[in-house]
Amino acid sequence: MNTSPVGAHSGRARAYRLAVAARVLLASVGGYGIAALASALLALISSGTRAEAVSTALIASFAIMAAVVIWVFAAGTVGRAALVLGIVAALLTVALWLAGAFQTGGAA
Amino acid sequence: MSRPRSVRQSMAWLHTWSGLVVGWVLFAIFVTGTASYYRPEISHWMRPELSAAKPDPAAAATRAGAFLQRTMPDAAGWSIKLPNAENPAVEVYWWRSFSGPFHHALLDPASGERAAVRDTQGGDFLYRFHYELSLPPLLGRWIVSACAMILLIALISGIVTHRRIFADFFTFRRDRSAQRGWLDAHNVMGVLALPFHLMIVYTGLVTLSAMLMPWAVQTAYRGDILRYYADAGIMIAGRPPAGRPGAALPLGEIVSRAMAAAGESPELVMITHPGDAVATVTAYFEEPPGLAHLHPQIAYDATTGVELGRVGEAGAATRTGAVMVGLHEAHFAAAPLRLVFFLCGLMGAATVATGLVLWTVARAPKNAAPEGLGLRLVRILNLGTIAGLPAGLAAYFLANRLLPVALDARAEWEVGAFFGIWVLAAAASALYPRPKAWSVALTVPALAFLAIPISDALTVGELRFLGFDLAMAVLGLLLLLAARLAGRRAAMRQPSRANLHRAAEA
Amino acid sequence: MTVSALVLSLLLSFSGMSALALSLDRHHRAVFRTPVSRRRLSGLRAAGWSGLGLSCAAAIASAGWSFGPVQWIGSLTGSALAVVALIAYRPIALRAAALAALPLATLMLPFALMR
Repeated sequence: MNTSPVGAHSGRARAYRLAVAARVLLASVGGYGIAALASALLALISSGTRAEAVSTALIASFAIMAAVVIWVFAAGTVGRAALVLGIVAALLTVALWLAGAFQTGGAA
Repeated sequence: MSRPRSVRQSMAWLHTWSGLVVGWVLFAIFVTGTASYYRPEISHWMRPELSAAKPDPAAAATRAGAFLQRTMPDAAGWSIKLPNAENPAVEVYWWRSFSGPFHHALLDPASGERAAVRDTQGGDFLYRFHYELSLPPLLGRWIVSACAMILLIALISGIVTHRRIFADFFTFRRDRSAQRGWLDAHNVMGVLALPFHLMIVYTGLVTLSAMLMPWAVQTAYRGDILRYYADAGIMIAGRPPAGRPGAALPLGEIVSRAMAAAGESPELVMITHPGDAVATVTAYFEEPPGLAHLHPQIAYDATTGVELGRVGEAGAATRTGAVMVGLHEAHFAAAPLRLVFFLCGLMGAATVATGLVLWTVARAPKNAAPEGLGLRLVRILNLGTIAGLPAGLAAYFLANRLLPVALDARAEWEVGAFFGIWVLAAAASALYPRPKAWSVALTVPALAFLAIPISDALTVGELRFLGFDLAMAVLGLLLLLAARLAGRRAAMRQPSRANLHRAAEA
Repeated sequence: MTVSALVLSLLLSFSGMSALALSLDRHHRAVFRTPVSRRRLSGLRAAGWSGLGLSCAAAIASAGWSFGPVQWIGSLTGSALAVVALIAYRPIALRAAALAALPLATLMLPFALMR
């Protein structure tokens, strides 16, 4: 019983470390994932020729990833960050599907 | 992190830790990348046997074609960098598949045989190290790109963290506490060259974007990147091989046609499917004046010499990307502007270095408490990278002058000297006595850089290398100055410890 | 894109950066030992921004629309670094250096605009 303060302390430290690890994982995987989805979508829906759209998508993708990473670390809780990222990823996937990215042999 | 905190606090945390984990690699990338602004000059210095000449590009192309025909007639591709007034040797590459390996040789333009020069990678080693770290190319590029993305995050979070960017714009309080001094130095280096830092990291990512983010090409072109390049006006579309042999014209004939068509000699010619009936020769010309990195190109049929096509006009977005690549490489820059880029690159390295040192200074134990393991590790890695890498760099140049010219695998020995001396200097700096560690560790590369002009004078001693030797001497003197400053700071710190701590807490 | 064009924009932005530094109370005290008055503040600010603006104009006039901005940003970095070094090591010399840069810039002007 007299070890409980120490136990609580180490428990808090462990929770803190877990939260940090979760954010790092979410930022890297989620950041790259959103950037990849957004870049794939931009290539289909940006104005201009097909090649111009791809160039736009390539250039913009890193700004998108950086914005997602910053946001993941600025968000109040990891859970909230994960939820929002999940919703954005789902929306992007639906948009990609609507844009015809998953039809075989369509766009090419 | 689960506790409620302000955005600025979490950005400060993010800046500190993202900067620390990749700091040492970033420092090496900045230093070797900055040196790469002078890649041609470094390569010239490291191949003193090549002298400036006025070669005939067409004849040189024919001879290089004959060399490649003997070496690998069934290659997937050959590339020939033609000689010009600046670079008198013919540089050829040949490969059996696009995934490598890429073979390489320097040819004498007059004979078409391997040039009689010492075996060295020259400035290309530092250039490739700055984005591949001497690892397998794909792995190295991914690691460097991850570091670049983390640097971009560190820059953004650093901007948010820095409360008084404008009020502290000119502030460097060198006479206050050590921590204050390092913080100011880090801020000044980071803020004043911030446009360069943001530019160099973002454009670096764009340079590798086709590898890092293949998804746009995947959806819009079903992964056919060559077709994207052709549509975008980056390259000319290729032709599949016919599978039957063809008799190609001498390459010089095609180079002459390209010179007549464009009014200038091509910089490089690339031959795809040499020996095939539909082999193609593409002539690449130097970029027209401007920021964009877009080479004019004309493709010729290798057997008939008929022009097949020219590279298309790039649109606004593609041109923007090309400007980004151009800014990163600064090929366009005349000498004064290139010097500005070089100095900004040094400021980037200094920003990383001051940040790394600041991390340890801010966590230095008060009241003679023992140093924790993490702090010791960071301190030793700082010494080994910030003072060790320059020692390795100097060793690379010294090895070029001091190793026997005919040594077997000489180029590998030079690279070995770079890594060997770096590791050795890093290991030694871990053993230096604490207060003097920085001044001793910085004196080693200072003396090594000062030895470069001397060894050059004794072994080669040509007037045209005076500029390079002077630059090395200046670097040596700057390192010596840094060593002296570090020594003085250490001496100053001893008697007035208590004072400094009071100031640090203020 | 010649050396003189770069030196011209460096000199102009150095003067501008010095004025902007002196408009900050901390540096004004270090150089003149007095706080900066309100009238002086607006004067210094106006001088500072016009120095930077002139530097930009000079860079674009001499190096064109593509290289000019690159050269200008480079000269901002370089001149600000010089101001920081002067304030840290020789604060007294800042005013004289900033004023001396102006006639030097005028001297450079014909060389920079000559192509």
